[in-house]
Amino acid sequence: MDTSGFLDAFVPAVAALFIAAFTMYIVRALRGPSIPDIVLAIDCLSYDLAVFIALISIYYGTALLIIGSFLLALWAYVFDLFVSKYLLRKELG
Amino acid sequence: MIGLLIDMIILYLGAAMVAVGAVYDVIAGIGMLRLPNFYTRLHAATIGAVGGAALPLFGTGLIALVSDQLGPYRVSAAVLCFLAGIAILLSAPTGSHILGKAAYRAGASDREPCVVDMGEER
Repeated sequence: MDTSGFLDAFVPAVAALFIAAFTMYIVRALRGPSIPDIVLAIDCLSYDLAVFIALISIYYGTALLIIGSFLLALWAYVFDLFVSKYLLRKELG
Repeated sequence: MIGLLIDMIILYLGAAMVAVGAVYDVIAGIGMLRLPNFYTRLHAATIGAVGGAALPLFGTGLIALVSDQLGPYRVSAAVLCFLAGIAILLSAPTGSHILGKAAYRAGASDREPCVVDMGEER
């Protein structure tokens, strides 16, 4: 079925909401008083970037971009793990 | 005819999931900006991960299943969207739990608007 006409109107309207959320997360990541605040804001930022990449991929019809979305979703967990181990033991790895 | 109707239902269901997820994401952003300390911002991060990232990824996968712009790649795109949603749904609560526990043990963040601290009494 012809979905391009609907997606041309729908994706920019939703992307505006996501960009508003991006702005608030970036403000918290820049202003955050401690290290866990910054890490938490960057986690949420990378999850939302995964959604945003999937939306862009649907809007332009390129399936290759969604691989980046999957890798971003896995990267945030590794980031959490490494930062919490650094906070507890003061060593990396 | 029935196939076209089912495609339309799947498209609008996915679009509704993406729209609800965008609203959740704005709510999580406001919470991340306005809540007073790290341990309350963990709640906003959970809203942003489960409601604001996993739900729109499932909706994006449903849209990609019936999209005609993706052509022959639509099934692989939908499967990758669902896999990313499941990965976020499984790893985001674990990651925020690890981060909160490490921040509490190391005393890395401020506990200031504190009503009760059960870890301190133990």
